[in-house]
Amino acid sequence: MDNAIAWILLFPLIGSIACALLGMVNRKLCYPISVLSMVAATWASVETLFQAVASPTAEVSYIFGGWVLDLFPRGVGIEFRADLLGALIALVVVGVGLIVSMYAKLPVEKETPRKEALYYPLFLLQITGLAGIALTGDAFNLYVLIEVAALTGYGLIAIGSNRAAAATFNYLILGTIGASLYLLGVGYVYIKTGTLNMVGIQEVIATNGLHDSPTMQVAFVLIGLGILIKMAFFPFHAWLPNAYSSAPTTTSCLLAPLVTKVMIYVMIRMVLTVFGVEFSFESTLWSEFMPWLVVIAIVCAAVMALAQREIKKMLAYLIVAEVGYMVGGVWIYNYYGFIGSIFHIISDACMTLCLFLATGIILRACKTTHFDGLRGLFSKMPLTMIGFFVGGFSIIGLPPTCGFFSKWYLITGGMVAERWEYMVVLMFSTMIMVVLFFRLIERIHLAVSESGEDLGKGHGDLGLTKEQTTFEEAPLSMLIPLLLAASIVMIIGIYNQEVVDQIELFLAPFNLPKGTGH
Amino acid sequence: MKWISLIPVVGVGVLLLFAAQDFPEWGDPQSPASQSPVASHFINNTGVDTEVPNMVTAVLADYRGFDTMFETVVVFIAGIAVLAILKGSGGRRRGTRRAYEVEAEPDIIVTHTVRLMVPVIQIFAFYVLAHGHVSPGGGFQGGVVMGASFILVALAWDLDHALVRMSLPRCMAIAAAGIIIYAGIGFLSMFLGGEFLDYAELEKVLPVSREMARYHAMLGVEIGVGFTVTSIMFALYANLSTEGRLKGGL
Repeated sequence: MDNAIAWILLFPLIGSIACALLGMVNRKLCYPISVLSMVAATWASVETLFQAVASPTAEVSYIFGGWVLDLFPRGVGIEFRADLLGALIALVVVGVGLIVSMYAKLPVEKETPRKEALYYPLFLLQITGLAGIALTGDAFNLYVLIEVAALTGYGLIAIGSNRAAAATFNYLILGTIGASLYLLGVGYVYIKTGTLNMVGIQEVIATNGLHDSPTMQVAFVLIGLGILIKMAFFPFHAWLPNAYSSAPTTTSCLLAPLVTKVMIYVMIRMVLTVFGVEFSFESTLWSEFMPWLVVIAIVCAAVMALAQREIKKMLAYLIVAEVGYMVGGVWIYNYYGFIGSIFHIISDACMTLCLFLATGIILRACKTTHFDGLRGLFSKMPLTMIGFFVGGFSIIGLPPTCGFFSKWYLITGGMVAERWEYMVVLMFSTMIMVVLFFRLIERIHLAVSESGEDLGKGHGDLGLTKEQTTFEEAPLSMLIPLLLAASIVMIIGIYNQEVVDQIELFLAPFNLPKGTGH
Repeated sequence: MKWISLIPVVGVGVLLLFAAQDFPEWGDPQSPASQSPVASHFINNTGVDTEVPNMVTAVLADYRGFDTMFETVVVFIAGIAVLAILKGSGGRRRGTRRAYEVEAEPDIIVTHTVRLMVPVIQIFAFYVLAHGHVSPGGGFQGGVVMGASFILVALAWDLDHALVRMSLPRCMAIAAAGIIIYAGIGFLSMFLGGEFLDYAELEKVLPVSREMARYHAMLGVEIGVGFTVTSIMFALYANLSTEGRLKGGL
């Protein structure tokens, strides 16, 4: 179907309007509508990916309004362009959206009672916005879609509790500053190039020789800074931990895997497609100092994750550390670093999803996500815990989970580019992740208290009553999405070469250095 | 410690001044933005392509209509988000009176003036909306004027008086209808064989030329925008002025 790429956005859009209208009649209709529209969107996304792989230019171009003119082949309207990268990220977005929409039924009923007709429209529009960011080929349209994703995000977080509303206010202020900086940057780009089409901008930069233009340099700084704030890169991360840990379960399951990752995609898109490799790496100093900022970011975020005693908060700081990995992979300016970054977007989305889904189940079963409440959970809900461990092992980077392979490419990139600081910090943070997750595993399996004393009567006794350890697995509507996510983490790990082949095909035309960049 | 915030302010200021040295002259016809094929296409061919004299409307509603659809969605989201956050949050401290709960009879001079003004405002809103092709105006502006007329009713009498005419479920239904109109025109042109929002394809169902089909479709999407903006304007006012309780109000 020719219009598949447009349908990726239009299915959730229709779904959200249907939820808003039919939800007023009967709240129970919202859940099936949202699952149905996400199934349809996933199908459209798979179809688009196949079209992109099959086409000779490895991309699908779609111009809204049919404004294709001979005079200006890039179109005077808005173009959607799914190259292999965009199509892959869009598939990740709607895939995560599908899994979370299946999971949403019980948590939404429990945490936001009687608000289904408001929650599901926001949920679906969030996916619309994020999928659109992955597909658009127009710098201003990107801003509009960032706005859609951000506004729905504020609503989805603040709907939970008063604490969440306070955290959202921080997020709102910082998010708005980030988006404004991006918009200002796009304005400067337009002043100097006279076009908003991403490929068009790069063509004008090349033909007019704008590499040393101060306006373009400042535009690059503004756009870069805006995106760094939006992706919660370390000094700008303050909004993320509170917002994600106080948000309703379904919201954090949807936002945590996607929002930061999609913003890293935007950064890669800006560096490669909009400004071009030559401008981004040769004409600016970013590749000199960014790896060092990344080092600080990863160390600080990992240490702060270590200080947390609550799973959701800990995971939130892990996200900040992972953002550092991916930003570093881009700015070490190396072919393998880029493969690692792009692959890590995909695998990090899957494993973060896995961890947050499991955390939602733990919260439902234990009423707390504090470390002390986890004792004996494995005998109570073994399948949930296996899902949680798979996600954790992937964050650490144990084969055959996908986290191992993406981290492998990142470390290879650091080594080949001779960016030893980046390589060392990756190793360091891996060690911290090991401590983090094995400490959790210890809490779950053993009867050791915070101060180290044995709470049980020795030898396998957890010091719990029989009811506390009776088998009581999570409801199927929550368990199946979790196991699905866990198996995706494994499947992407096992078939990593197929994913990397597509990424390599995408990166081929950019002539990135395979040795040191300088 | 407030002076610390001076550092980023000065930093950004220096950055912006640094950028400004490279700007084209004011109104320079040779500047890249004026020279680009896109801009000259808009200036020379808008009338030929769409029969619309107002270039701004044509760019907004047709050439870049996809952006505008999502801007309308943003307005819709703002309404839903405020409703979602405020719903059920008020009314915890029962018995205490809020600052906005003023018990007073509507003033006769004010109500009579408003009675005279509201119809005029609403007719003007329709004019702004429908005349957007020719003069400054369009769906957003018309919708705001329309929404303001309802807010005026709520101000002059009380919120209940306005809610009888525009209840919140009705607001949300109208807002959703606005997006259905906009996206529906897009879907229709898609099913008739074009791309999404390719209004020219509507010539197959309208008894007009391709250019006039674009002209009429633009009016259609502006009406959709007007629906959404009107109802969300009022819904935002009703919710925010009463902390989501929809009782009393300024």
